[in-house]
Formats: sequence, C-alpha cells, structure tokens
Amino acid sequence: MKASSTRTLLKVALLSLVAVFGVSISGTFSTVESAAAKKGESASGTKAEAATVDPSDSTSSIYLDTSGKLAGVGDPNKPASVAWKAGRGWHPAALGSSKLPRDRYGLIDWAKIVNDKMIKPRPSLDPAEEEMDPLDMDVLIEAKGDFVDDVIYPHKIHTYWLKCEVCHPQIFIPAQGQNNMTMVGIANGEWCGRCHSKVAFPLTDCRRCHSSPKKPSAKK
Amino acid sequence: MRLGLCVVAVVFIAVALASVKVYAAQEPGPGKFVLDSKLPSMIKAGVGPVVFPHGQHQAKFKCGVCHPAIFKDKAKANDISMKKNMNGEFCGSPNCHNSPKAFPLFQCASCHTKVDVKGKKQP
Repeated sequence: MKASSTRTLLKVALLSLVAVFGVSISGTFSTVESAAAKKGESASGTKAEAATVDPSDSTSSIYLDTSGKLAGVGDPNKPASVAWKAGRGWHPAALGSSKLPRDRYGLIDWAKIVNDKMIKPRPSLDPAEEEMDPLDMDVLIEAKGDFVDDVIYPHKIHTYWLKCEVCHPQIFIPAQGQNNMTMVGIANGEWCGRCHSKVAFPLTDCRRCHSSPKKPSAKK
Repeated sequence: MRLGLCVVAVVFIAVALASVKVYAAQEPGPGKFVLDSKLPSMIKAGVGPVVFPHGQHQAKFKCGVCHPAIFKDKAKANDISMKKNMNGEFCGSPNCHNSPKAFPLFQCASCHTKVDVKGKKQP
C-alpha cells in the first residue's frame, strides 16, 4: 500500500516536471522566434540605411561588428579589425621565443644586444633632439659588508639608454661616496632599485653588479 | 568480505600512523637558530643576524637534500657568507635561493633580522 502510494507520487512529480520543462522550452522558442523577427526587421532597416551610409563617418553601421560595437579603432582611415589592434600590442611571449641572447637567469640581455650591435635603437622620438655620446666612466662602489664583492658601475651602458638628468641629481648625488646606498634600500626600490627589478634587469643575479673582488688588505 | 576489508583498512591506518610517529621521532630538528658569526660585517651593511627557520625547511625537504652536501650538519661548521651564497654555495645553491624555486638573495629582510626595512636615504 505504502509503496504503491509513493510510486504514484513519483509519477505525478515526474509528469509535472515534464510539463514545466515543456512549457519553458516552448516559451524560449517563442522568444527566439520573436527575436529573430525583430532582427529581420532591423536588418531590413540597416539595408535601407546602407544605401545612404557615409564611409567617412566613423560611427556609421559599416564600422560596427555583429553585436553592434565599434569593430575598429574609430578612425575610418585605419583598418577596422581586431587583429590590427592586437598586432600593435605588447608581446612578451613573442620576445621570449625570439633568438635574443639571454643571461644565466634566462632573461633577455639587452645590454649585450646593443653592445653586439644586434639592434640600433633610435636615440629619441624627437628628431630635433641632440644625441649625447655615452660617458665611458666606470665607478667603483665599495660593498658595505666585508664578504661581498665590490660593484663596478658602468656609466657607458647607462648613458647609452638614458640622459644624465634621469639619475642625477635626484636619485644619485653626482659625487663619489656621497650616496649612502644599501642593498636593503635598493631592494625596496631606492637608488638602483628605482629601475632595476622594474624596467631594467632584476636584482636576482648579484654577481652581475657585485663583480670586483675586494682586495685582501681591505678585508678586516 | 566486509570483515576482510575492515581488517585491511585498520592495518593500513595503523601502519601509516606508526610510520609518521617514527619519522617524527627520528627528526626532531634544531628548530630556529641564529647565524651571527659575521655580525660586524652585517652591521656595516645595515642588517642584523640571520634567524634560520630549520623547521620550515625540514617540513618541505628531506634531510639529505641539504645535509651533508650543501651544509655540514654541525653548528659553526659552515662558513656561510653572502659572497658564497651569490656564487651558488649554501643558501644560494642552484636549486635554492639562487633560482626561481625560492625567494631571491636580494630580499635581505626575508632572512636578516633588524633590517632597516624602510631603506630610505639617510640625510
């Protein structure tokens, strides 16, 4: 008795489920149909407009994609394609798969690239700007600790990329021994850390800068 | 059938527990310890002594990963310096803090205590 009543209950529940499902499906069908009808109307509308469309008007419907959004860059003189936009983007992945020389941490060695004259970047975007020759002056910066090699700072590669005013006098006072640099400060974004680990090679490779062994007499 | 499964499960759990207990008993580890043999040089460089969290390392690696090839397992037996770390010895071994697997050597405050974390220019 009990079992049969549960069975009937189940049947009723199943039937009602089917009914609800059916109604919802037919509902969606009808909405789809009406949407299609509306689309047809609008399509015929655009067709009528297309005859009088002005190609130099960047907002005209010929520059819109299927969802009605602007397909290009809003400039009728430039190609209206997503690929064009994407092609102008920044591609670190493409750079990575290029055959550019790497340092021992696998990072692209831009200094070697310009030293080996693989690329010759333009000095400035402004053609009227005078380009200064790089300053060939190495500065010995003594490491504060007794056990770490001293740093030889090469002005040459820095002045190849940058103007004097980029670093002097705000970041570095241009006088030897006047900048109380610490590795802690550099790691926290002061001094060399203003660029290195941000736009220039990271601090990870200590020996790229700490390259000059301390003289034994200097060791305490 | 069911009884057999139960017995197997119980035996498995017991063995697992026992092995964990034995492992823990074998490796108590020294916990944290202070490395300050080069303190005068550290102070010059603006950092304090290193407190080495042996427990953290022990939780991730087996003893043989570091001992005895990289570090002799005896206090004061390893002449560690930042120069040697930079050159790929001790903490800076090629698979450790000189690789992308662990934080890099230039993060002074991750190991050294009493670091002037602001690292601002002094007037």
